[in-house]
Amino acid sequence: MSRFAELLDCFFYRPDEEVGPFLELAPEVEGVPESVVAEVPEEFLAFELAGETYAVPIAVVREIQKVGDVTEVPRAAPNVIGLINVRGEMLPLYDVKVRLELAGQPPVVRTKKDVGRGARVVLLRDPEGDAGILVDRVQGVVKLALSRLESAPNLGLERDAVAGIGRKDGRLFILLDLEQALS
Amino acid sequence: MAPPRALEEFVTEANEILETLSRELFVLDQQRGKEPDPDRLNAVFRGAHSLKGLAAMFGVDRLSRLAHRAEDALDALRLGKVPLDDRMIDTLIETLDMLQAMLARVSAGTSAPDLEVGADHLQDRLAELAKGRSLPAGDLLEQVGIDPQIRAVFTEYEEHRLRENVKKGVGLWKVRAVFGLDDFDTKLAALNARLKPLGEVVSTLPSSRPGDEASIAFDLVFGSGQSKSAIEAALDGATLSTLTTREGPVEVTPPPGPALSLPPQPRSPVPRPAPRWDDVSGSGLTPLAEPTSTSGLRLSPESSLRSLTQTVRVDIGRLDALMNSIGELLLIRSNINRLAESARQVGSGVALPKLWGQELQREARALERKLDELQKGVLDVRMVPLGQVFDKLTRLMRRLVRESGKDVDFAVSGGDVELDKLIVEELSDPLMHLLRNALDHGIEPPEVRRLHHKPSRGTIRLKAREQGNQVQLEVGDDGGGMDESRIRQVAVERGVATEEQTREMDRRDLLNLVFLPGFSTREDVSELSGRGVGLDVVKTNLARLSGLIDIDSRRGDGTTFTLTLPLTLAIIRALMVSVSGRTYAVPLSAVMEIASVRHADLQTIERREVFEVRGQTLPFVRLARVFRLPEVERERSFVVLVGLAQQRIGLAVDELIGQEDIVTKPLSGRLRAIPGVSGATELGDRRAVLVLDIGALMEELSRPQAAAS
Amino acid sequence: MGILSTHKVLIVEDSRATRELLAAALSGLDGVEVHTAVSGFEALKVLPRHRFALIITDINMPDINGLELINFVKKNPHYKETPLFVVTTEGRPQDRDRGLQLGASEYVVKPFEVADVSALVRRYLKLR
Repeated sequence: MSRFAELLDCFFYRPDEEVGPFLELAPEVEGVPESVVAEVPEEFLAFELAGETYAVPIAVVREIQKVGDVTEVPRAAPNVIGLINVRGEMLPLYDVKVRLELAGQPPVVRTKKDVGRGARVVLLRDPEGDAGILVDRVQGVVKLALSRLESAPNLGLERDAVAGIGRKDGRLFILLDLEQALS
Repeated sequence: MAPPRALEEFVTEANEILETLSRELFVLDQQRGKEPDPDRLNAVFRGAHSLKGLAAMFGVDRLSRLAHRAEDALDALRLGKVPLDDRMIDTLIETLDMLQAMLARVSAGTSAPDLEVGADHLQDRLAELAKGRSLPAGDLLEQVGIDPQIRAVFTEYEEHRLRENVKKGVGLWKVRAVFGLDDFDTKLAALNARLKPLGEVVSTLPSSRPGDEASIAFDLVFGSGQSKSAIEAALDGATLSTLTTREGPVEVTPPPGPALSLPPQPRSPVPRPAPRWDDVSGSGLTPLAEPTSTSGLRLSPESSLRSLTQTVRVDIGRLDALMNSIGELLLIRSNINRLAESARQVGSGVALPKLWGQELQREARALERKLDELQKGVLDVRMVPLGQVFDKLTRLMRRLVRESGKDVDFAVSGGDVELDKLIVEELSDPLMHLLRNALDHGIEPPEVRRLHHKPSRGTIRLKAREQGNQVQLEVGDDGGGMDESRIRQVAVERGVATEEQTREMDRRDLLNLVFLPGFSTREDVSELSGRGVGLDVVKTNLARLSGLIDIDSRRGDGTTFTLTLPLTLAIIRALMVSVSGRTYAVPLSAVMEIASVRHADLQTIERREVFEVRGQTLPFVRLARVFRLPEVERERSFVVLVGLAQQRIGLAVDELIGQEDIVTKPLSGRLRAIPGVSGATELGDRRAVLVLDIGALMEELSRPQAAAS
Repeated sequence: MGILSTHKVLIVEDSRATRELLAAALSGLDGVEVHTAVSGFEALKVLPRHRFALIITDINMPDINGLELINFVKKNPHYKETPLFVVTTEGRPQDRDRGLQLGASEYVVKPFEVADVSALVRRYLKLR
């Protein structure tokens, strides 16, 4: 990338930031043996949180962004990492790891230097107001048949932010209950 | 019931009709006792008529029925069957209020069983008023011999107007004018304007001219007592001929009928105890009349003067200007694209010609200019004249004045000053509150005024004027003024200030005590004062609009409240401050002054830090502590003095960064409840910066438990 | 439907909401192109620009009233064959008689069901 292209790049909004992972990583639909009723699998966005793979329905994903400046919001709920500016819109950035008991306390994130290289902000549509969640890495889009989702096993943990479990090719996808995860 | 989208259309249009009605009724109200302008009466009639039809179309039957009754009464009125007396005007104004209340319910989607009784009552009264004498038999118009062909297209009203002209014995003329098809409306309006001073245009009949596609002829039926030559002088090319078969003015003896004016309804003011708050005005007990309204419609605490719609009506010219800016922005975009393309082709690592950089810089500057223009344009679109809310206030004040039994002039000026739609909407309630206060507590009863050698008729003023990027509003009265010693006494009694404190205060600070919560209490507020809230709420509401309120009052001369507001909430000037490495924006409208305070000079009162500025001791509030941020040990702080009078506090910050014009954006729904933060703005580096809500912060800090932490 | 078989209908009505309601209903009809005017004057301006298959007018309007408009239309050799509906709140028999005497084809009193007017329009346009 040339110096000038780089200059323009930080000035303008790049479409690849929001759709990139969708296009590159969307796996082909598996050759599911034709069953009596062919079910159209749902698309989910899969991402990594503390080494585990989580997923949310593609329909609620607004876009995916690199981590930029995050403004601390005093006296906000503890799972609010801060405020981010999405092309003029001021949206809260949430940590879901504490809620999922993957971490003791939310990270302090103020700039991109505070997160790992793969970290992304997943912007979610929500009737209560759109919000971002911080994820360690975006894995891609996965198609899961709704009828084959399992409910979360009782592991003696209070994980009510988990809506269910999906499996594909031996991989485990934990489906996030957004309402709970952001509360 | 119509679908929601259509219902919205209905509410918008019905609202417009009611606004027009309100304006016209207001003029009729002001000109009580005078011969009403027939055009104005007809306009009011048309309003009721349109509303009836509109409401019926959209299935809002209750509203349609009441509008129908009003239409009947107005029809009888414009046809001269009934007189325009006080009873009629009062009933029409009450009907208008009721229609507005009903529309508000329709808009909110709630039912209105509580309005039923009042509406029924009004309908009965309107029906009673519509009963007039029948028109005289033996048609005058046949006597004077008017072409039945012309009469065939006359509405009943036009016939009536013609008849009135015949009765007056003026000449009836036919004015024929031929205009081009493309501009006949303006030409016709100009002709009408020239004719109006000479008489009355009863009807306008278009007729085609065979063989001439590009023009259209109009026959105006014109009644005038002027000579033929005087009328012809005003015609400018149109031709004049007599309408009647007889030449010259027609002499007709008007048929006997009842006199057109009835004596006004007597009023009997019932004295009742005045509210205690009133004591401050120094005018003693104020006898207040019971409202004469019998419709049962009162302003309930939740009723508001706010508009029912979120719509802004925009001058098309403003939108065109926006469109132009966007066109130019697109041009700049393509230029930048072109530059980017040429940079890409040159490839990386190769130095680009200097010219390229200059060109890019030029485009960037043009982009900035155009964006500024666009922003200004969008702000312009949000601006609406204050007249919109002034009209409503005027109408309500007329009614309140009538009900109060006081003799008061209400003078309004500056309705053409424009403000952000949002601010205008939010202003109506605080202004109403101040106006009611002026009426209830400010203006003395006529006998008291006479005793003080003042004209028995009091004056309440509402004035707006633009000052730079602010608007100043004044609500003033020439009443009894506020009694400083009484304020002092009340303040001490209610524990708002200590006796010692009040003695040290200057007049202005003392007067400003009335804005403190707890100064006026719920029980004190008279029914007329309305909402059971004091001036503290007015002040808080204004603070939410980044506005300030000040008070000036002199015993015997009256009281004036001055409200200062920014032109728009969308862009405000803010002081950027830094605390523990974080940046915050403080709206400049809340900043009174800035000081630098050495921590060594701080003292404590009941373990709360205070500092002194020009002899005044003020709370020293560390923003870092309020926001629970890690504090940096330092020798001195900058103190931003915010607030008003006694409620002033010093907000301690680490550094002052400077002033900026900022666009405040609301926080997403999930963060709306963050106390002390009104929104966020983005800085040049696109970082989000929180904007402090000074009103909320002050409120929070004045609560005892918060101050202790 | 080809362009030649499009029927242009002019709605003259000063109430915006009612106008839009009617216009929306009539534009739903196949082969109907709706034009609107907010006043008698605007109608006078629009009339010569198109060949209307049908005119629908209100009576009580600013500038010239609906009766005057009917009179104008029915006396003009270019338009006099155009069917004309009155749509109004003036429901008294004498109002109705006047409208019909001046040459209106139908006299519809408000409030009306939009579907009924729509059906009426369809019937008239097919007749022609």
